[in-house]
Amino acid sequence: MNSGPKFSTAVLWTLMILGFALVPVLMRSSYQLNLASHVLVWGLFAVAFNMLWGVTGMLSFGQALYYGLGAYFVGLMVEYLGSAWYLPAIGIGMLAVAATSFLLGLLVIRVGGVYFTMLTLAFGQLAWQITFKWYDFTGGDDGIQGIAAPGFLQNPIAYYYFLLVLVMLSIWILKRMAYSPFGLMLRCVRQNPERVRFLGRRVRRNQLRVYMVSSLFAALAGSLMAGIDNSIHTDMFFWTTSGEVILMSVLGGLNQFFGPFVGAAVIIIIEDIVGAWTEYWSLIIGSIIMSMVILFPKGLVGELHQLKLRMMPPKERRSE
Amino acid sequence: MDFSFFITQTISGLTMATLLFLVASGLTLIFGVGNVFNFAHGSFYMVGAYFGYQLVSIWELNFWVALILAGLGAGVVGMLAESLFLRRIYGRVNEGGFQILLTYCFILIIDDLVKLVWGTEYKSLPRPKGFSGALNFGDIYLPSYNLVIIAVGLIVVVASWWILTRTRPGKIARAAAVDREMVDTLGVNVPLTMTLVFGIATALGGMAGALAAPLRTVTPGAGVEVIIDSLIVVVLGGMGNFWGAWLGALLIGEVNAFAVAFLPKWASLFSFLVMVIVLIFKPEGLFSPRQVRKV
Amino acid sequence: MRNKRLFICFVVAILAFIVVPFCVNAEDKTIKIGALYPMTGRAGLYGKDSVAAAEMAIDEINSKGGVAGYKIDITFTDSKVKPAYAVRVAKRYITEDKVNFLFGVVSSGVGLAVTEISNQYKTIFVGTDHASTRLTVDNFQPYYFRVSNNTFQSMTAGALYLKELAETKPWKKIAFIGPDYAYGHSQWDEIRYNLDRYGVEYEVVGEYWPKIYAPDYTSYITSILKDKPDVLISGFWGGDTVAFIKQAQAYGLFKKTLYFHPDAGGNYELMSAMGAELPDGLVLGARHYNNWPETDRNRNFVQEFQKRTGRFPTYAAQGAYAGIYAIANAVKAVGNPDDTEALVKALEGLKISLPEDPEGFTSYIRPETHQITQVMAIGTTMANGDFPPAKKMLGNWKIYKAEDLVPPVEYLEEKRKK
Repeated sequence: MNSGPKFSTAVLWTLMILGFALVPVLMRSSYQLNLASHVLVWGLFAVAFNMLWGVTGMLSFGQALYYGLGAYFVGLMVEYLGSAWYLPAIGIGMLAVAATSFLLGLLVIRVGGVYFTMLTLAFGQLAWQITFKWYDFTGGDDGIQGIAAPGFLQNPIAYYYFLLVLVMLSIWILKRMAYSPFGLMLRCVRQNPERVRFLGRRVRRNQLRVYMVSSLFAALAGSLMAGIDNSIHTDMFFWTTSGEVILMSVLGGLNQFFGPFVGAAVIIIIEDIVGAWTEYWSLIIGSIIMSMVILFPKGLVGELHQLKLRMMPPKERRSE
Repeated sequence: MDFSFFITQTISGLTMATLLFLVASGLTLIFGVGNVFNFAHGSFYMVGAYFGYQLVSIWELNFWVALILAGLGAGVVGMLAESLFLRRIYGRVNEGGFQILLTYCFILIIDDLVKLVWGTEYKSLPRPKGFSGALNFGDIYLPSYNLVIIAVGLIVVVASWWILTRTRPGKIARAAAVDREMVDTLGVNVPLTMTLVFGIATALGGMAGALAAPLRTVTPGAGVEVIIDSLIVVVLGGMGNFWGAWLGALLIGEVNAFAVAFLPKWASLFSFLVMVIVLIFKPEGLFSPRQVRKV
Repeated sequence: MRNKRLFICFVVAILAFIVVPFCVNAEDKTIKIGALYPMTGRAGLYGKDSVAAAEMAIDEINSKGGVAGYKIDITFTDSKVKPAYAVRVAKRYITEDKVNFLFGVVSSGVGLAVTEISNQYKTIFVGTDHASTRLTVDNFQPYYFRVSNNTFQSMTAGALYLKELAETKPWKKIAFIGPDYAYGHSQWDEIRYNLDRYGVEYEVVGEYWPKIYAPDYTSYITSILKDKPDVLISGFWGGDTVAFIKQAQAYGLFKKTLYFHPDAGGNYELMSAMGAELPDGLVLGARHYNNWPETDRNRNFVQEFQKRTGRFPTYAAQGAYAGIYAIANAVKAVGNPDDTEALVKALEGLKISLPEDPEGFTSYIRPETHQITQVMAIGTTMANGDFPPAKKMLGNWKIYKAEDLVPPVEYLEEKRKK
């Protein structure tokens, strides 16, 4: 995985942060703010997910479990205890998710490949079924509404900047992790776990660590989502939600750090545009994404990267 | 619990299990054997049901003929999808991911195509003549059509197992899934093999759709509903193991049947629990000799 | 090279869509309605029917010159039965398209999420098909109005039916089967509340909770047969109803137990799907019927719909039709679609004559709950070929007065206390 010369990464970061920061200024109506918020949350969720798959080679079909937990901790605590608990709920949710992902991780990481995938799917669906059924406590299919953020965060623009800062910080942390020795280890685990063992390193311990990290940030994404629409729903636990981040990652490029983020943005924006235009959005979106899949084998960001390489003079290309 | 109820419940569990197995059988073939994850497997099931509806309720063909034709129809659609689109991603880096994404696009496209052709109303397929009643032994009711389904399930499991393990085409198909390049160098037409396997898998799915249709509603969106259950059955039984899939489906069906009888409020949780327990303790599947746990 | 060019075009296209404002043909003097309905999947039928009926109502009104000089303009978006997505669309409707009214939804989960937005942005939301009582009781907010009945009303009618039935065909044991989520559970809770309220004695011999969209009910059916209830109360909707009846039929369930399905069972889609296969003697209720009441208004509504779409409507259609007329009447009373507070007052006191009103009755909205109050009927399946492809329809109607179906004050207070 290439990160490119330092300055261009800094440029990318600045552009991205600036772009999102300017949305409240340039927007026509709060709809764009809402859209950008969704892109940020899903972007974080997808990038966190890709730490598991693109980086470490673990395809989890159940990250929605943690996303949902993050959202429901906030939703339930605010509903039963009041909006003063909003921010603490984010923290408590993350702690709970750390514990859950540790315990579940011990169970699911014992196997690899499709078995790992199925087990994560099973746990995700179990969580969904329990939340859905426990109507008296969680509201089940009705979801939870009226999740009010505390104090100044009630202003949508203030909340947006709060969201932006947290998401960018999280992505930065994840990026540092991906390019650290730990990240290198994870990539080795993906490519050849046996060899890693022969080199005297622990495979499962590293897998557990990244599983916990990925789940923590998925939970953060869920908690933040609760404040955007002020309502949450059990379908946040459903397998299709886990599936969405998979699709976003593949579309954007599994082997690119920002791939999933771009994938998330593309999918959300296309959904909105096409959905507004026709009731046959399914056919149109399916065709669009299919064309992208066939045309861009490296994912969107991967192809962009190829483009960049081609445009650089041969000398600098070698350092990539 | 009295004996007749025990029998009735066991047979109803068996019916559910067989339907589960039949729907999953195509996925066992394409994913378990062929190593291609067809997320849209459920959509072919749905297409088969709609074809069945069209052939029987609109064009008034004989039910059994329609069943075969519906399966073939779904198979043809599958082969088109595979040769025109899916083939282009074979051999790519991260092929697995692209399989998921591309077959997901199939789901989206097929859903709307079905809606365009048949509309959104619920359709129904009646049971074939002579099979709308039930065999009656005292308190025990055995609907005749359910018995037909159970019989078909057994035929499919035996036939698939035999073809895959005892015949040459079956062995070639299995080999091609494991190592495409190698089989190619042996002179086998790999692209054709893949297309045929995909076609047979979707035909199985379509036939299951038409077979199940008299018991269910033919409705848009049916595809997404069955894919997860099918996936569970495939993995529970051990990838590519038809007998395993059948037995895995049986386990789920019977656990569900008795959970409904004794713990009706919690029955819906039971199938997940079974899945979780099996996957934790024997993730390679109940009936697979393979060991996948890392030491 | 080809890839690169394509890709750049693609990126430019995406950017253009974000930056260039949607081209909205802003005619002066239009009433703008933003509608959300499912148009894909299992609930797609209700969405499509609602769209057709709403457009029918709008054409009727606009062809007469509109309302108070305004024409009605409506935009439909597929809600996909996803609350988060629906909320996004609702916000777009309000902030970008500047709609005067939010309209629709079939799923109560989506309805609950959208009613929040309606409250936040003070935009009137006219609900046309979802039935959770919560929207007019627990989660009531002043900008929400519903023009189709809720489960409480159906279940009250159901309880009254069962009470009457006991006098001629005594029954004692009941069981319930329904999808295992809020809709199923609230029906069961509400019918028992009403049975108790009217002092009807009953014994519960079983409760069955298959998951929604369950493909197989065989194990439930055999369990029900073992428990031998006199009446099986059912809470399914849509495809689940069809599947359950088909599967249960082979077991002869309906010869042994009365199948009683007051909220959504009588919806036309069941009759149209099953045709001659549908057994006689099932007791079903719905929010609107194509063959009752036999008034000119209802007949015309149904025939017009059939002419437009080639099929007969499910009850979602009448709900949408009612919603448009409710909006039109309110705007006529106020004179413009922008004075939200006046419109709320107008809707609160609304009396509106609808296809589902029998002779001598006019539907009206109750100010305390913003819920429309209508006559309900429950019927039994019997042969009737007037509405193909259905071969059976409902008949042998029992009618219930609107005032009897209203939730009592104690109920409202208890639920709103939370």
